[in-house]
Order: sequence, then C-alpha cells, then structure tokens
Amino acid sequence: MKKLHFLEVEGNTKGFYTFLGLFGLISLIGVLAAYYMEHNGHWVTGMSNQVIWGTPHVFAIFLIVAASGALNVASISSVFAKTTYKPLARLSGILAMALLAGGLVVLLLDLGRPDRLIVAMTKFNFVSIFTWNIFLYTGFMGIVGIYLWTMMDRPYNNFTKKAGMLAFIWRLILTTGTGSIFGFLIAREAYDAALLAPMFVIMSFSYGLAVFMLVLMASYKYTQRNLGDFLVNRLKNLLGVFVAAVFYFVVVYHLTNLYSTDHREITVFILTNGGIYTFLFWVVQIILGTLLPLILLYGPTGKNRTMIGLASVLIILGGLAQLYVIIIGGQVYPMHLFPGMEVSSSFYDGVVASYAPSLPEFLLGLGGVGVALLLVTVAVAALKFLPASLSDEVANPHSK
Amino acid sequence: MTINIENEKLQEDTQQVESSRRNFIFGSVAAAGLTVAPGVMLYQTANARSLSEKATSKVRWGMLVDTTKKVDWNKCVDACNKEHGLDNEQHSRDDQKTQYIRVVDVKNKGTGYSMSLPVMCQHCEHPPCVDVCPTGASMKRPDGIVLVDRHTCIGCRYCMMACPYKARSFVHETLTDQTENTPRGKGCVESCNMCVNRVDNGQLPACVEVSDGAIVFGDLNDPQSDVSKLLAKHGGKQIRADLKLNPGVHYQGI
Amino acid sequence: MWLHQNFNSFFKSNGLHKLPLTVAGLALIASFNTVNASQDGLGPKITIQESSGKSCVLPSEQMRREHPDLLKHDRVQTLREGVRAQVDGSTLDGSLKQCVNCHAVKDDNNKFVRIDNDQHFCVSCHKYAAVTIDCFQCHRDIPEGSGDFHALSSHKDASYTNVVPGTYSITVKDMANIAPEVGSDDN
Repeated sequence: MKKLHFLEVEGNTKGFYTFLGLFGLISLIGVLAAYYMEHNGHWVTGMSNQVIWGTPHVFAIFLIVAASGALNVASISSVFAKTTYKPLARLSGILAMALLAGGLVVLLLDLGRPDRLIVAMTKFNFVSIFTWNIFLYTGFMGIVGIYLWTMMDRPYNNFTKKAGMLAFIWRLILTTGTGSIFGFLIAREAYDAALLAPMFVIMSFSYGLAVFMLVLMASYKYTQRNLGDFLVNRLKNLLGVFVAAVFYFVVVYHLTNLYSTDHREITVFILTNGGIYTFLFWVVQIILGTLLPLILLYGPTGKNRTMIGLASVLIILGGLAQLYVIIIGGQVYPMHLFPGMEVSSSFYDGVVASYAPSLPEFLLGLGGVGVALLLVTVAVAALKFLPASLSDEVANPHSK
Repeated sequence: MTINIENEKLQEDTQQVESSRRNFIFGSVAAAGLTVAPGVMLYQTANARSLSEKATSKVRWGMLVDTTKKVDWNKCVDACNKEHGLDNEQHSRDDQKTQYIRVVDVKNKGTGYSMSLPVMCQHCEHPPCVDVCPTGASMKRPDGIVLVDRHTCIGCRYCMMACPYKARSFVHETLTDQTENTPRGKGCVESCNMCVNRVDNGQLPACVEVSDGAIVFGDLNDPQSDVSKLLAKHGGKQIRADLKLNPGVHYQGI
Repeated sequence: MWLHQNFNSFFKSNGLHKLPLTVAGLALIASFNTVNASQDGLGPKITIQESSGKSCVLPSEQMRREHPDLLKHDRVQTLREGVRAQVDGSTLDGSLKQCVNCHAVKDDNNKFVRIDNDQHFCVSCHKYAAVTIDCFQCHRDIPEGSGDFHALSSHKDASYTNVVPGTYSITVKDMANIAPEVGSDDN
C-alpha cells in the first residue's frame, strides 16, 4: 500500500477561481435576497400566517441535516475503527462544518428580526428545543473543529478517537434536536410523532453521504487527482443502504398514520389528493429520490462514476422534496379545531392553504448552498484536507 | 449647560402634579377608550390588584363564550381591530394579514346543524407557544394572560407553528400609525392578549364589551365571579380539549 | 506574506514606521483643545415643546444618561409583570406613550413631527449620536388624540430644574458627558 499524503488544492488556477467566483456569486445573491426580504418585510415572500415556514426553511433544514450526515464518514473511521475511510475523514469534517454554516445562515437571515440575533444569543428559554439547538449547533462547530485539529496536528493524533466519539454522539443529539423541532409539536397532524426525530437522523445519513460523494468526486475530478474505485464502491454501497433505511422510516411513518384515525387524513392527503405534495412525494421523493438511485447504485451501472453522481443528485432532490412535503405539506393541511365538521373562516380554517415559493425565498435558500460550497472550496485550498491521491494503491489496504 | 433655570415654575408644577395624579389613571383609561364604543365599564373583581403590584396567579382571567346567543360575532372582530389598530396592512396578501380574533363557521355535514363562533387566542394554562419560544418572548403572565413580549421577539415564528388554534399572526410589512396601547411592528409575532392593558385598568376586553353579554369575562379562580358561576351551572367546553392545554376560554354550545 | 514583508522593509528603511504613532499622538493632543465654549453649535439640536410646565421623570442630564436603562427596566416591569403604577399612585415613570405625549414636537403647520423627521425629539439626538433606535418600529411615534396629558411624576427629591420650551443646541461636551463614568452606579 502506497503512503497517504495530504496536499492543499492549488488555488492559483483559472478553474479554482471560477468555482470561487460562482459560489461567491450565489452566496452574494442569497444575501441580497435576504436584505430584500428583511427590508420590505415578509410580504414579498410566499410565506403567510398559514404557511409559516417556507422554501428557505426547506433548504436550511436540508443543509443542517446533511451537515450532521456528512460527518458520518469520519465517524465510521474513528469510532467504528474502519481505517479504510480514514483518508476521507478530514474532508468529511470540514464539509460538515461548511454545510451547517450554510444552513444556519439561511435560518438566521430569514428571521423576522435578524437584528435581534444578540437577543437570541443571550436570552434563553430552556424548555424550547430551539434553544437547545442553538447550543447543539454552535457546539457542533467547536467539537468538529477540535476533531479536525486532532486529525491534522500530528502530536494530537492520539486524541482523534476520543474526539471522534464525542463528535459522533453530539451529531446524533443534534439531528434528534432538529427532528424534534417538528416532533415536539402537538398542534399539527403531520408532526405529532415521536418517529420524526429518528427519521431525521436516518435522513441525515442518506443526504449527508450523497452530498459528500458529490463533493468528493467533483473535487478529485476537477483537481485531476486520482480517486480509485475501491473507495467509491464502498461508499456507494453504503449510500444505497442509507437510502433504503430512509424508505423504511417513510413507510412506517405513513402506515402508522393510516392506522390512527386521528392522523389518517394527513397521510391520505399526502399520498393521494394533495396535488403538488402528492406529486412531490411519489414522483420526486419515492421514484426519483429512492427507487431510481437504488437501481443506479446496485444495478449494472453501479461502477459508472457518472451514474453514481447522478444517483447522488437524485437523492438530494428527493431529500429536498421530502422536506418540502414534511415542512410545507404539513402546514398547508388544516388543523382540525372541530373534528368531523366542515369549517370556514376569514383566516383559512378548514381549507388547504395555498403556498407558492417566491423568488427571494428560493434565492436565499440557494445562497445557503452557495455559502457551504464556498467555504469548502476555500478550505481545501487553504489546508491539507484532501489526500493528494486516493488511488487504489493508496486507499486499498490489501493492494500489493 | 445652556438650559435656563426657573424656580417659580417648579413650585407651580409640583402642585399641579399632586392634583393631577389622582386623575391620571382615569385620564389614561378615557384616552384609551377613545376609539372604542362609549359606555366604558369598569370591571371589578374580588381579587382586584393595585397597579403597583405585579400580576399574580391569585387571579386567572378567562372567558365564557355563549355561542347559542344570536350575536353578530363580526362586531367583536371589528371592535378588536379598532382597539388594536389592526387591518392597516398596505402590502400584505389576505393570508398575511393579522387577525387576533376570527369568526369560524362550523357545519355538521351529517346533521345539517351549523353555527358560528369567535376564535381568538385561547390563553391556555399550558401554552405550547410559550414552551417553544427560544427567547422567552412568548410568555404567560401569572394571571393567565398569554402574550408576546415584542421587545424580545426575534420573529422565528416557531410559536405560530406550535399553536393548535392558529391564534398567532406575523407582521409581514412595515407598519405606521399604531395605536398607543398596542405597539406592533414588522418582524414580530402577535396575538390576542385579552386586551391586557384594558383588563389591568379594570375594563373589559374589547370583544367582550360589544358582545351584548354573549361573552362573559372574569376571574376563573373566584367561584363568585359571573363567569365561574355560569361555568358551574351550565358547564362549558374548550376547543381541542383533548390536547389538555386547559385554555382559559370556554364555549357554550359547541 | 509577501505584502507584509515588503511593507515593513519599505517603511523601516525610510524611518516612516513611527508615522502612524505620531499621527495618532497629534490627534490626541489636538482633541484636548476642542471647543470649550458653552455654545459650540456642533452638537444635536433638540426641541422642547410647549408643555405647560411639566417636569420629566428625572433631571435632564440623568435622563440623558440613564434613559436606556430606565426604558429597559420599565418595560420588563410593565409588560412582563403588569406593574403600571408607582406605589404613590402616579404612573410608572417610563411608559413610552407618556414620554411621547410630552416630548412630541410640532412643526410649523402645527402637526406632530413623525419619526422620519429630524426634528422628532428622539431622532434629533439619536441621529447625531448615530445610534439606531427601533422603538418606533412598533410604538406610536406621535401622541394619539390631543396628547395633552397631565404631568408624569412626583419625584420626591425633585430639586432639579424645569425646562423652558424652545430649541436647544447641546454641546459636544454634554454629549461626551452622557457616557457613564467609570465606577458609577448607573444601572
């Protein structure tokens, strides 16, 4: 086995500056969209008193969930001692931090009063899961930062296992906290489920690894470094397992709802007569986001890099659709103040609320993605995150 | 300092202050009542507190809404809008405009029975909106009134997600010309606060006042109050009682 | 790295590395000789309206320094705790509408001046000090109705002066005095 050697990406190339410029531009547009929303007020968005959280939250939660999942690869190497993945641990860590930063930027910029961030950082209501999330998210940044440090600073390599274990436990609690944002709400039929927290954890495994694979393959392709099939194959097999696991949770969630007369209607709504939400569920989440990637990853195309990349993209799209259905679909469905009755009012009681994503919301959400990618791009050029080569001779412990 | 000193004026003012102090509270009440229907009633309770004391849990404010009475509930909505200066949005779509109280029309498809009732913040004993607020802006006063401290609200709208009654609204645009007694502005969440500054000054909430007796307001902790006596006699139901939030707003006839 | 090294060597070789320090020192000395006169016209201009001899909650200097803390304290007491009056029966010093009612300024057309106008009482100082206030995003910026309210308080040890209506130019020195002293017990 050839020796592993980490090397910064060469920053002084046209290609690098193009990526920097592109992600920087997307981030800038996101910030401008946020300014437009904050300055005018949220009337310029599609969000309303009925659909309270919209497209920015779909993106933000996707990024946050993917962030904790992106750390998986590092955790597998440190906590579960699968040394095969050790060369990927550094990228895994920095990608996790970047994705979380991107998600948080979107959440904070969408606040009705982002100028009151200091208030949010100083006044805490510890009954609220949001408050715990503030500590979980900032703690995550610190802990992963320390974890990376133990990996990258030779005298501290002995602490990597401990730091990795702490990071692993922390990110499980973090994702549980994110799922609990919804799981703790008794008010709405779609959310009143303890299953949501573990479901979000499994979703993080799937989305995080999909994003990781795309970033890994893209960064090796564009830096013309060698990425052998040994690692890619193991990763894509793992990805398929996670996709299947998410599917299992989705099935359990909807089946349970169908059984409970209390929650049956919301599942019937999503599965059959929810219009756009039904379309997103069946076509984008299930077919494009679950079944097709499984075929691509495990079928005859499984060795083809492009197909693996396509599968990752589809999984991401499916994930966005899944969050859209959960977050927005869960809100448009009316709450039943008078079960069994037909209700109407001037405040949209009893009717499925309408929501159309607006451009500023979409640009803000996309801006978060831009921030995350920008941070990763800068990081891999600044420090030694990427191995100079991940060819089979380097990565495969059994190679001659 | 360039400000002039005038001692004679000082003495005059002190005297004026003494005499006007007594008038002050009623003066402010009158001014606040300018925009509401005439016939401002002062509401007394056995556990009335002086305004220099903090609100305590000795009192629990609540309401009983009699939906069987033939009342045009839109009057309550209009009174509330006027009292708090609502419905002054210029840019917001209909589904973005604030409503503290709304009229809900309910029809039983099976039996054909239909009725209307006003729905506002239910002032729960265990408010989910208070549980989820990250900064503690959404709060419950010890006397049971649930309100938003807009100084601390960051506009995250989590309380709006959590409310089972959809009682909360978000201000989607810059507002001007607010009423004196209800400061409200862009980026903060708001809801019915049981007309807390009217209640503190011994008045009835605006919706109660125009309801022609269909809504009875009072101290739920006082067994001798009108609302407690009516509840003891006729019973009363809470909306979504199965959630066990124990709202302070009860309904008759639902 | 390259930029830093070149900067250093250029400056050191020409003896200019002491330049920034010299400039700062001169500026500091110059500041000691700022206008000392009682009226320097450099500070903000505030307008005290005709208010038929009412007195504010605290003396002007104290009010200027402490009003943020007063406001913060009072809003917690009033909004969160429901305390709306002093023990002696007067109103709680600091309900914002009381301040607005007294300090509201009228323009030449006898109309109340709004928050976007530089003559608004709070804006006149805050614009000068470049401290943004967001109070009036929610609170009403002018009195409702006539705005003619009775005087606010009966501060027992009111030995301070009353303000005669008019427009005042606050000196720079007064503005500097607003900063809390080290070791004072302003809270």
